Amino acid sequence: MTLHQRGRGGWVTKGGRAASLGGLVALGLLLAAGCSSKTKGMQGEGNPVGSESNLGGSQGSLEQFKNTGTLSGSGPLTDIHFGYNTYNIEPQDGSILKQNASWLQSNPKTRVQVEGHCDERGSEEYNIALGAKRAQAAKDYLETLGVEGSRISTISYGKELPLCTDHDESCWQQNRRDHFVVQQ
Amino acid sequence: MRIIGQERQYAMAVSPLKNLSGDDNHQASNAFTRTLTRDFELSGYFRIIDPHAYVEDAQQSGFELGQFNFADWTSINSDFLVKGAVTVNGPKVQLTAYLYDVAQQRRKMGKSFTGAVDEVPRMARRFADAALEAMTGQRGPFDSKLAFVSTGTSRFKEVYTQSIDGQDLTQQTHNSTINLFPDWDKSTRFLLYLSYKSGEPGLYLADLKQRVESRITSNRGIIIGGALSPDGQLVVASIERAGATNLYLLDRSGHEMRRLTQTAGINCTPNFSQDGSKLAFTSDRSGSPQVYVMQLSGESPQRITYRGNYNTNPAFSPKGDRIAYQSRTGGRFDIFTIPSAGGDPTQLTEGGGTNESPSWSPDGRYLAFSSTREGHPHIFVMMVQTGKLIGSLTEGNGNDTAPAWSWWLGD
Repeated sequence: MTLHQRGRGGWVTKGGRAASLGGLVALGLLLAAGCSSKTKGMQGEGNPVGSESNLGGSQGSLEQFKNTGTLSGSGPLTDIHFGYNTYNIEPQDGSILKQNASWLQSNPKTRVQVEGHCDERGSEEYNIALGAKRAQAAKDYLETLGVEGSRISTISYGKELPLCTDHDESCWQQNRRDHFVVQQ
Repeated sequence: MRIIGQERQYAMAVSPLKNLSGDDNHQASNAFTRTLTRDFELSGYFRIIDPHAYVEDAQQSGFELGQFNFADWTSINSDFLVKGAVTVNGPKVQLTAYLYDVAQQRRKMGKSFTGAVDEVPRMARRFADAALEAMTGQRGPFDSKLAFVSTGTSRFKEVYTQSIDGQDLTQQTHNSTINLFPDWDKSTRFLLYLSYKSGEPGLYLADLKQRVESRITSNRGIIIGGALSPDGQLVVASIERAGATNLYLLDRSGHEMRRLTQTAGINCTPNFSQDGSKLAFTSDRSGSPQVYVMQLSGESPQRITYRGNYNTNPAFSPKGDRIAYQSRTGGRFDIFTIPSAGGDPTQLTEGGGTNESPSWSPDGRYLAFSSTREGHPHIFVMMVQTGKLIGSLTEGNGNDTAPAWSWWLGD
């Protein structure tokens, strides 16, 4: 049993299985200057960060999936939804984005990560691209409503983290979404 | 591994190896014949005669031409026969095997191997590849690896590798997040994959020999996916920046060398031709996802697919003459191939759940793909020329997707 340091996630224990990338030495070519702040609260390999809840923060979908296996769509900000294989903001979602923008303006110390999600019907990689477009569309919209772009980051999970796992349109409709995660 | 209905197959007998010395418990012989039997079945050319039907005692008879009786094999309707012998001396194995044409009473080919005891399955794979070459003029594809994504026994998609015949299953990632799209270089030493392990999607280049990996990251934008060049020196990444998802050429440290596409929409799923000179990819520039081909320089992009309104995951054949891809038909995908210069598509799967992510065998004879035809997605293999389904390469309760069939392993 040996200890390896894995990136920002802190020390983790690696089992005796030598033939695994889990224990690979992270060369960590982290070129991004803003990388660590961008992922604040998303400590992918570490433990959940409990302090987020102080400012009405919500856990990101990946963290929820890691910790519990189930996702809740809840949080101070409301999801918006998309048509099949599209990434334009639907007219009826404008009012939701206005509410979200106004919450963000009332809580100026927060940041938000917009998660783009897709239904299960497309291919994996194309859906990640589609989810990135959906997240960016909401970011652009929030910026036009006066939220500073520097407070908004985007991520795409494609079809990897569905809210609903049935194979029908009502489920797909719920999954084609932008989810807004408040970060401290 | 199961083998699904075949017609026009040769009847093949795989005899136990004669123990010349040291293989008294038949461990080496069993490892050889078990692996060879699986590879022959997966080739689609052979039906293996049940060893219980063999009348000859391999330990009592010889294995060289003239030292055994072909009548023992014609009597069980065998078209072809593999016989051989093994010497085990401590950790070392010496193994010789021959392929015989039973009707012609001729030796078609033979091979001798020396190596460690745990290398016997690989000797069988190399023998299978050589036997296919002797019979068809084209080397078989089994001395290679399969990488794929599986949920295994957890809910997390991790990258796994195994031999084509299902042995040596190894979980390569253990980060309990989302890992996708493994892609080999030609040396099969390096494996590129997308992972969310840092909290955001990043490309990781793993050196399976040195057991180290490096992260290839973008200083802005979201990494969507990527491909590793056959020589392992270059990465083409799909990166979303300010609403546009384009392809970028990076060196293996992540340094950006060139932007390859310039559209406002989506460009993703890059795939290198085996000579490294061209890329196939998916773009929505026409209004729907379609397959395109361009030079690695980004020049001369050409739309290849016109039938269907959702075509993606292109894969160049080893010769570069065809592209396999998945096309959406009635709410699911089927696998097609199309000439890489454009032309009429050929449909290879029809129904049986969704069929996705085609990956060519190094000899260009087979495609591995993921399919939900039996419920959970597993990796299946079919013959390209006929679309004939041969069987599944993975089993179990996990969801197996995104197969990547490697090039032949080196010496």
